[in-house]
Amino acid sequence: MRLKEGSFLWYLYLDKTYCLLSVRNVKALMEYFHLLDVHGKNTLNDVLFYHFLHHVTDLKKREINLVFDMLDWNAVGEIGFEQFYVLVCILLAHQNHLEERFMYRHSRTVFGLLDLEGDQKISPENFEMYRFLFNIQKQELKDLFCDFDITGDRRLNYQEFKLYTIVRINKLQKRKEKTENAEREKKSLLIKKMSHQVHAS
Amino acid sequence: MEEKPSKVSLKPSDRHGSDKESKESLYSDIRDLWTTATLSQSELNTPLSDVCGNFDAEGRSISHTRGWYGQGRRSLDEGDKASRKLRRSSSMEINEGKEDTASEIKAEKSSSTSSLDIAKHIPHRAYWAEQQNRLPLPLMELMENEALEVLTEALWSYRLGIGRDHLLTQELQQYIEGLKKRRSKKLYL
Repeated sequence: MRLKEGSFLWYLYLDKTYCLLSVRNVKALMEYFHLLDVHGKNTLNDVLFYHFLHHVTDLKKREINLVFDMLDWNAVGEIGFEQFYVLVCILLAHQNHLEERFMYRHSRTVFGLLDLEGDQKISPENFEMYRFLFNIQKQELKDLFCDFDITGDRRLNYQEFKLYTIVRINKLQKRKEKTENAEREKKSLLIKKMSHQVHAS
Repeated sequence: MEEKPSKVSLKPSDRHGSDKESKESLYSDIRDLWTTATLSQSELNTPLSDVCGNFDAEGRSISHTRGWYGQGRRSLDEGDKASRKLRRSSSMEINEGKEDTASEIKAEKSSSTSSLDIAKHIPHRAYWAEQQNRLPLPLMELMENEALEVLTEALWSYRLGIGRDHLLTQELQQYIEGLKKRRSKKLYL
């Protein structure tokens, strides 16, 4: 999934630590939402939502409809600004490769979105449907349910899901540290070589 | 976002009540957005008329939006000063101890309130720099153009799905015409 370059959303800045938009960005987003709210109901219906998402992303029709159903949990046929805001944050997190951080920071919100049945649990089928939003590979998802389904009911409750987000963010940080250390070592080696050459000459 | 917005408080009907208020506060404050966004603009030779205009042809708070566009020039000047100040303060930190610019800063402090407000954000320079580089200008124009494209596509779907004579289709068509009129007005101003 990609955001269309040059689109309004593409210019918004998602805070890398908290995975939220600044107040100014939210205000601009609100303005944008009201421009799309043709019928003055402070909501977007499925048609407007489809054309909006089709315009700013490369998502397929099936995926857009899935996202709409996820956000329109009450089946009202419309989504409001709050859902719109959450969606934009997810899109921006994906665009900026902050999916892990986003899931960690907003685990309750993400859990709520993925809990389609409303029984405070996420089934593997539902998670599979929306894994494209969070850039989770198939194998990773399988491992997730193997490793974190502590209760053994083949579904994740909030605690299990939260644990998964913590482990995922830890892995990410370790990976980052490793690459940083490797880069540092490379640099120090290069400096040593250079100084050696200077001494030799 | 720690709450469960999608299911508890996100009902569209729940939101309707407070929307008028939030809209008004949005328009009155959005000039701050404009002012801040302008900080990144090095070319401020765009005439004010290009960025001025009615915000909404559909009866939405025109006076409010005019307000923040109308104050544009003053904000631009202040914003420019503030951005210069920001740049200066960052270079000051680099050359710390070499120059004494305290008197200069004192003189500038009284120049405008908005520059003072912005100066509060000096510790978050990296954040500001990134945001300033990313916000396109004029923001409103970009939003309107994009919304117009989305709505035009939606109009086709409406026509195919519910027919040309349906109330919603007509409403959408009128809205698009209103947006287009507003855009052309801006062009001729």
